[in-house]
Amino acid sequence: MRNTWIILKREYLERVRSRTFLVLTILAPAIMTALMILPAKLATMGDKPQHFVIVASTQQFGEMVRQQLLSEPMGSEEAEGDSSEASRKPEDQYVIDVDTSSTEVERASLRDKVSNREIDGFLWLTDDAIAGHRVDWDTREMAGSREKSWIGDAVNRILQRQELAKAGLNSAQTQELLTPVKVESVRIERGREAKGSGSGRFLEIVVMVMLIYVAVLLYGISVMRSVLEEKTSRIIEVLLSSASSTELMTGKLLGVGAVGLTQIVVWTVMAGVIALPSLATQASFSELQLSPLVMISFVLYFLFGYLLYSTMYATIGAITTTEQEGQQLQFLIVMPLVLSVFMLMPVLRTPDSAVVVWLSMVPFFAPIVMYARIVVQTPPIWQIALSLVLMVATIAGLVVLCARIYRIGVLIYGKRPTLPEIIKWLKYANA
Amino acid sequence: MSSVQTPVAPVSSSAARLAGNDTVDLVGVRKCYDEFVAVDDLSLNVRPSGIYGLLGPNGAGKTSTIRMLMGITVPDAGRITVFGEPLARAHMDQFGYLPEERGLYKKMKVLEHLVFLGQLKGLSSAEATQRANRWCERFELTAWTGKKVEELSKGMQQKVQFIGAVLHDPRLIIMDEPFTGLDPANAVVLKDVLLEMAKSGKTILLSTHRMDQVERLCQSICLINHGRAVLEGDLNQIKARYGRHNVQIKYDGDARFLQEKRLVESFNDYGNYVEIHLASSADPQELLHLASANARLDKFELMEPSLEEIFIDVVGRSNA
Repeated sequence: MRNTWIILKREYLERVRSRTFLVLTILAPAIMTALMILPAKLATMGDKPQHFVIVASTQQFGEMVRQQLLSEPMGSEEAEGDSSEASRKPEDQYVIDVDTSSTEVERASLRDKVSNREIDGFLWLTDDAIAGHRVDWDTREMAGSREKSWIGDAVNRILQRQELAKAGLNSAQTQELLTPVKVESVRIERGREAKGSGSGRFLEIVVMVMLIYVAVLLYGISVMRSVLEEKTSRIIEVLLSSASSTELMTGKLLGVGAVGLTQIVVWTVMAGVIALPSLATQASFSELQLSPLVMISFVLYFLFGYLLYSTMYATIGAITTTEQEGQQLQFLIVMPLVLSVFMLMPVLRTPDSAVVVWLSMVPFFAPIVMYARIVVQTPPIWQIALSLVLMVATIAGLVVLCARIYRIGVLIYGKRPTLPEIIKWLKYANA
Repeated sequence: MSSVQTPVAPVSSSAARLAGNDTVDLVGVRKCYDEFVAVDDLSLNVRPSGIYGLLGPNGAGKTSTIRMLMGITVPDAGRITVFGEPLARAHMDQFGYLPEERGLYKKMKVLEHLVFLGQLKGLSSAEATQRANRWCERFELTAWTGKKVEELSKGMQQKVQFIGAVLHDPRLIIMDEPFTGLDPANAVVLKDVLLEMAKSGKTILLSTHRMDQVERLCQSICLINHGRAVLEGDLNQIKARYGRHNVQIKYDGDARFLQEKRLVESFNDYGNYVEIHLASSADPQELLHLASANARLDKFELMEPSLEEIFIDVVGRSNA
């Protein structure tokens, strides 16, 4: 116990004093903040209004379409929570002119203007075109589906309104008829309507994935390096004359775990002091609505996930003799991480399907998959408990395994052992 | 085939001796790595206090023996006893170990590193700090205690490592080639420290292939070759057993006497002097007459055999 503590302390101090810790502690939140704020900022910044021309047979018709386009700007339906685009007035986003000269010459000159970037596009909305049920939207780039449906909806709406007016309905009736039914998605949690939108939920998961990734990649490698260093520098012999290999490994990993915990605490404090006030104004962030369960499981899954992957790195360090070799084996660690990320989509869609439930129990996937399940839909407590128990058991098992290989590592010089050799060592170390 | 054999370690001559007051007692120890037999039926006794030399050519099994003693590997057969008890983890805190290949954490500061090693051996942080500072003073490392290990020269690192091995005041100190890499001045400091510790009642097990050191420092030795002990016991007794068959001559002039096969079995010319191994029945006086007849002699000394000669002799015979 005492030895484990001494080693823990050494490993902890060495890492906390290292440059990696400083960089990660400061840089990670900075990157994270940037990731959350930048896309929104980018969407609003630097865009000058887009300039379109509507070519219609009559000024009146063109004007109606123009009004319709401006009254329902592109993407206004999805953008309920996403405040960035909705916050801008349509008049600032678009400049729309109406042009009534529908000659081929005019069309050619408009095309030139589009090419010369004088305007961003034009809509060929002559009576002929409408009669033919085909309207051309000429822009420099192929229009996206959002853009097409925006324009299509506006044009159709005006046409329908005109037809209905011709059929004798008054404008109130027309309005009533043309107002679409909106589908509102409601998430049920424990029989009640839950707060928080999909994008907020997703952000919680992304933050987790990012943190685990960064922490595992940076500290995991440092664990592997330190195991390798002890072997190549032969300090391992001195250490083993003072402490058992299990004490060494346990101390090392707990030290590394303590570093992870410190990091979380530092980040939380930093978030509280600096980031939160500014982030709170961001709509998607204010919708996070972190429940205590999510916060507790965040800490638990981050810590255990990080410990588990660090132990895997330590094992790789114990097996290999040089860092290059170790890095070749890194895919063994990165693979489950990447796989968990791939699993996120099915998890979000059907968080309680049998496959997802059992995948979330697998210790290597649990930190991301089980955490994602907890975020989208609270799974039964026994499942959470089981996944945590399995993770802890796996970590303990790996530590014992790793400690044995590490102990035998004293005797190794040169080439990497083959799998049969490792198995033989494990038996041997038993003696 | 027919009788059921109990797994008893092979009995060897030293098993018959009383092991009670020995610091280290190895009986019939054997260690194999795959096909290779590193240590084979090795028995030795290290008496308390004093310096015991573990000798042997490269690859003889010295380091393998030490690793078993340190509990890093486990013998395949045989018995290891320390302080009269079977070797156990608990003994490690009374051992000081300087491995053949030195290793320190390069990024750690010297003092921190020493305190870390001391704490692992059961010292309190304060006690370890105090002792480390005292030792650093002795080895003229005081100016370096705040530096990182990687900033130190190889020799200085070795001194740090030595301090780390003895910081906790161990009863048994095991040193694998402690002098390699040290300059003469530091080698003297280390030698003095070792002798001092031996005098104060510590037991030092010194593994080396440098005969001259063993000859000057050790009271007892064990000579290992091919994993087996070929010579073990008190150094003076061993030497006495080999008799005075050696003559050192410093001369000027005709060296014809060296070719006298009746008297000279072999000789080793060191430039300034020749060391002659006498033929088995040769009379040294006869050689003296012969040599002085043709050359001017500055020195003629009848000597005990050097350990190196005994070593070469014994190893040569055991290899044959």
